[in-house]
Amino acid sequence: MLKLPLRWIAAAVLLINGFFPALWILLTSFKSDIELAQTPITWLPQNPGLGNYIHAFSDQPLLLFLGNSFAVALLSTLLTLFAATGAAYALTRLHLRHRGLILTLLVAVAMFPPATLLVPLFEIMRGLGLINTYGALILPYAVQSLPVCTLVLASFFQQVPKDIENAAMLDGCTRLQALYRIVLPLSAPGVFTAGILAFVNAWDEFLLALALNAAPGSRTLPVGILLYQGEFTFPWPVISAALVVAIVPLAILIIVFQERVISGLTTGGIKG
Amino acid sequence: MSVRTLFSRQQDGLRNRLGDISEASLAFWLLLPATLLLGLIVVYPVAKVIHDSLYSISLFSESGPVFIGLANYADALRDPDVWRAVRFTLALCIVTVPGALLVGLVLALLANREWKWRWPVRLALLLPWALPLAFSGMIFAWFFNTEYGVVNDLLRRAGFAPISFLLIPQWGFLAICIATIWKTSSFVALILLAGLQTIPRSLYEAAELEGASRWQIFRHVTLPLLVPALMVALIFRTISALQSFDIPYAMTQGGPARYTETLSILINTTAIEYMDVGYGSALAVLLFVLSMAASSLYLRKLYKGTL
Repeated sequence: MLKLPLRWIAAAVLLINGFFPALWILLTSFKSDIELAQTPITWLPQNPGLGNYIHAFSDQPLLLFLGNSFAVALLSTLLTLFAATGAAYALTRLHLRHRGLILTLLVAVAMFPPATLLVPLFEIMRGLGLINTYGALILPYAVQSLPVCTLVLASFFQQVPKDIENAAMLDGCTRLQALYRIVLPLSAPGVFTAGILAFVNAWDEFLLALALNAAPGSRTLPVGILLYQGEFTFPWPVISAALVVAIVPLAILIIVFQERVISGLTTGGIKG
Repeated sequence: MSVRTLFSRQQDGLRNRLGDISEASLAFWLLLPATLLLGLIVVYPVAKVIHDSLYSISLFSESGPVFIGLANYADALRDPDVWRAVRFTLALCIVTVPGALLVGLVLALLANREWKWRWPVRLALLLPWALPLAFSGMIFAWFFNTEYGVVNDLLRRAGFAPISFLLIPQWGFLAICIATIWKTSSFVALILLAGLQTIPRSLYEAAELEGASRWQIFRHVTLPLLVPALMVALIFRTISALQSFDIPYAMTQGGPARYTETLSILINTTAIEYMDVGYGSALAVLLFVLSMAASSLYLRKLYKGTL
């Protein structure tokens, strides 16, 4: 066993590495402009105030960015879960020839670098009139999460005993009904896990959001906050407040669903 | 073989065959949404990007696309901007991939101790993982700020002169590497932690009984058993490092003087900002070839079922 001091060092390294950047942003968000312009800098805010939070919401439509991020993440998660459920069921429960090949293709196709697809996606979305709408992001985000969600769901579907499904079908269920009434409810933890991973992926995406939805009204949080900067200045205290607002929903999500996230990552982790 | 089992086998065969017909069409319908999505968002765009790379297409010019063969590729090979972006992207890979694996391994080994409170330790790994890359970039840009950054504050306290990290190419590279390693090592740690937890305790006990030292146990028990998890982390990290965009863009926007421009940033600038679609497409194909080299490793493992 570790001796006490070494144990404390290990804990300190882990906690500082994990929390210091977020903590620093939190501290910055409570500092005033004047305090921020002091050198040497202060570590703890001298007159903590919520002024930056008021500015974060009034200087830019932060609430709108929050709503955009939430809508895009939620809708793309639902779409990817729908597509992944079908694919995972077909791959695990039906007699498919070339099962391995289909799975590999599915993953291969979704692993294309977004920057490669950026140019044609821009033109396709423009052609469909989807630039600066949720649709422009929902569709590609659903595809990016498709492999992870399919792998996670497939691993849960495999654990549902075939007998339960067969019994349901003897009672007159069709295969599709068996999927939606028996297999899917029994795999609820898997659906949650896949859903959280898809949601976080969508919440975090930046490149496509920047290229396809740059209009002020349709920005998601990362794009919106990065473009907070004025012509010449980068208002750090206000940006810090906006970052805190953007990180809190994510932090709540991962605190509540820690175990799910970790199990999902190790089943089909496709995010760095 | 009794008549009864033979009969039931026949019946099974019959049901299977009938089942197969309906199963085939069911499989078709179940795979259809995924197929349509992939077709619209990946297959068609890839065909289009390859096609467009052979044309001169500028959304600013009045004339339509002009077929120019491989001229875009020839231009790209002569373009110093492209070579600089490729070199910078590869340098980023060479530093941040081993860096993230090493830091991630240390974090995983620390987190794998028996902790009285497990959730803060877990959260310390999950928070950096969940944090958007663009936010990490912004936060580290703030850390490395010349006047008000915490890094320069520490340097000052230690008696050094402050450094304009994001305005000097080499320091900018270092800052971007540190931000990237911090952000991505938590993902590596989570993958490795899961790998560590599958190693049976009995192996460690046996090694201790044999009188092996801590280092020997790590070197001959832990590390070899961790190789599969390390491989997964290595492949994922390499693929995403080749596509680096968010962190460099958020920290330096490719500056100073385009020194920290990655291939992805260059593609975005060329195709979206300058609307040079043909040339941007050729660059996109170049990036695709680079990253396919890394993903094919993963896909081969997946296909062979070794993952």
